[in-house]
Amino acid sequence: MNLSSIRYLIRESFRNIWQNKLMAVASIGVLISCLLLTGGSYLVYANINHTFEWIDSQNVVVAFAKEDSTDAQLTVLEDKIKCITNVDTVEFVSKEQALLRYKDSMTDAVFEEMQGENNPYLDSFVVTFKDLSKFKDTIKQMDQIPEIEDIVYSEDTAKQLTNIRNIMLLASGCIILLLLVVSLFIIANTIKLTVYNRRLEISIMKSVGATNVFVRIPFIIEGIVLGVFSACLSYGIVFLVYSKLYDMVGRDIMGGLLEFSAVWHVMLLGFIALGVLTGIAGSAISMRRYLRDEGGISSVI
Amino acid sequence: MIEFKGVHKAYDNGIKALKDVSILINKGEFVFIVGASGAGKSTFLKLMMREEVPSAGEVIVNGYKLSKLKRREIPYLRRSMGIVFQDFRLINNMTVFDNVAFAMRVIGKSGSDIRKRVPYILGLVGLQNKVRSFPKELSGGEQQRVGLARALVNNPSIIIADEPTGNIDPELSYEIVELLTEINRRGTTVIMVTHEHDLVRLFHHRVIEIREGCVVSDRLSDRKVKKPTREADAVDAAGIFPTFREGGSI
Repeated sequence: MNLSSIRYLIRESFRNIWQNKLMAVASIGVLISCLLLTGGSYLVYANINHTFEWIDSQNVVVAFAKEDSTDAQLTVLEDKIKCITNVDTVEFVSKEQALLRYKDSMTDAVFEEMQGENNPYLDSFVVTFKDLSKFKDTIKQMDQIPEIEDIVYSEDTAKQLTNIRNIMLLASGCIILLLLVVSLFIIANTIKLTVYNRRLEISIMKSVGATNVFVRIPFIIEGIVLGVFSACLSYGIVFLVYSKLYDMVGRDIMGGLLEFSAVWHVMLLGFIALGVLTGIAGSAISMRRYLRDEGGISSVI
Repeated sequence: MIEFKGVHKAYDNGIKALKDVSILINKGEFVFIVGASGAGKSTFLKLMMREEVPSAGEVIVNGYKLSKLKRREIPYLRRSMGIVFQDFRLINNMTVFDNVAFAMRVIGKSGSDIRKRVPYILGLVGLQNKVRSFPKELSGGEQQRVGLARALVNNPSIIIADEPTGNIDPELSYEIVELLTEINRRGTTVIMVTHEHDLVRLFHHRVIEIREGCVVSDRLSDRKVKKPTREADAVDAAGIFPTFREGGSI
């Protein structure tokens, strides 16, 4: 294919869009609706994930050191805990700090009584895990550390959180997949109408010996252009709406809403990729079907 | 060269469109295919353009055995043919020039080739003054001449004209066939499907008659009727076939 053909095909694609303005607006409208729904589902998923991460961070395991551990022993213990792969953060809480935490729940006299050697609390480490699904194994590993007196945790909460997160992941995945199939179907049908509008030109092209690739290319470029345009508009809409929502309730809900800056690149790239792919696939499907079933030289009008 | 060897064509709905058709059309011939509606003329053309494949027998066009032709080779077969349609099939929002250029663009010809070739061909069919006109501004005869120019522009060895005079005034039909005859004189094989027996009788060409899917006669037209004077004047007035030095050949 030479340069003038490429120039011609690109010009043709834009001419098609301009001449079928209404159809282009319809396609963009459909695509934007689908992208907004898909993007919305993704944002809901990302926020649920974010909330779970926050809950995870609150769901701590406390490892108590043996009574009368020396500073050196405590340092060794901290290092040993940190060496476990699934451990995310380790925070040391001395027995003095522990006593201070409960100061409000006791009388001053009792508090004074508990100072120094009478302090009933133990030095401890507050530990969070990276992956809650490996909760049991990580606890087992911690159990094997001899410097640990006891470990306190809530296994059921961890298990429930993992289960809920898996269900949410599956549900969001299914919704996004379903929306993609629906978008593809609608776009294929919208482009089919454009193809139908241009059946005269297609029949002439075929009669003078244009290859199927040459016939298809303007529609494919049209699909890409509509896809990119819809993606940019959808991104703009999502950005505005989400930013507004963040300003309104972002900090009020548990764990806070995910900041848009954390997902902007996924959203933008995802929208463009989805828009372009849906545009190309929609054009390819409808053209393939048309050229195979009806797009002959003499079958027009 | 076009050859039909014992060709049968039956459609899925059971209609037998062609029955044991064997025809040989040599390079440079002018052939009228005549017959009533439903006789099998359209099927004959569709088989030649490889829009359909025979149920039995073989069609050979320019050395291509069409039943063995791969899908991706079909466009290249069609580049050796120029097709003229009864309904002109012009794109209304394109000028005469662009309608003709369209046929060159879609097979990847360069802009400079197009700028040279299109005016030459439009001159050949007598439309050098209508280059910037739109199809709706032209008469039926002129529109068909644009269709003919488009069929000729890629320099095909065969012109297939499917009822080219079916949608134009009878007095202008002669002009179109005269044009096709001139194109034929320059070496292009012309196959014209028509049901207008009176028109066929005006020219001294081979006539193949198809009836109910069978070839019932294959002879030379007697040319019993003389060329009508008024139409001859019209052709001359249109300035058809002026001599051009640039743009190539047909």
